[in-house]
Amino acid sequence: MNREETIEKLKGIVKPYIQNQEAFDNLTESTDFIKDLQINSANLVDVILDIEEEFDIVIDNESMERMIDVKSAMEIIETKLSKK
Amino acid sequence: MIGNDIVDLALARKESNWKRNGFLDKIFTTKEQLLISNAENPEVMVWNLWSRKEAAYKIYNRKTQIRGYFPLQLECFDLNIIDGIFFGKVVIKDLIYFTKTEITTQFVHTIAVENVQDFDTIKTLENRKNIQKNNGIPSYLEKDNSFLIPISISHHGRFEQIVSL
Repeated sequence: MNREETIEKLKGIVKPYIQNQEAFDNLTESTDFIKDLQINSANLVDVILDIEEEFDIVIDNESMERMIDVKSAMEIIETKLSKK
Repeated sequence: MIGNDIVDLALARKESNWKRNGFLDKIFTTKEQLLISNAENPEVMVWNLWSRKEAAYKIYNRKTQIRGYFPLQLECFDLNIIDGIFFGKVVIKDLIYFTKTEITTQFVHTIAVENVQDFDTIKTLENRKNIQKNNGIPSYLEKDNSFLIPISISHHGRFEQIVSL
């Protein structure tokens, strides 16, 4: 899976939880899940569970701590995928 | 220092499926999960504990400037009910915060403070006038002396609460 495919898949995962469409339409690596996309913090756990299911990876607690923006999410997904 | 968090129970029911596989494991410690499974109303206990963690996180974030998603590091303990108000503590690393939670059929609202006596001096602000944010952290600007008073804002669904000391 290349970077574009990963980011597209990630966009599909976060879409149901976003509350700021404009920030979503202009999503970049620096987009913050809570500050920009305004995802409810209780829904961030759903994003994480959806990522685990979609990519068939396990996000450990240490990785989860950093899961607050697109950049960190991409890094975590790519690292976990490379270890599969 | 103060932090608060409000949960609109009707909206939470729509937005979150706390019974989803893995959901509780990602955000609640074993002890907290026991409180949930033993509760008369597990759903309300989920949001009760969640709002305590969120309120405590807001103080922690303001103090340390550390941002992250680490609900398991914030553990609720010493839950107590005094005259219908739910008190308790939240620990993260070597820091302990005191929490006070109001639960109705419509919402759960927690206020967290650093010193237990701060509960006596909590003020509620009616609107967002003279509020500014620095690094996402809100303060109230006092007009006459230009002091910045730390405040906490929580908004969910039908409810908004703005509090300060």
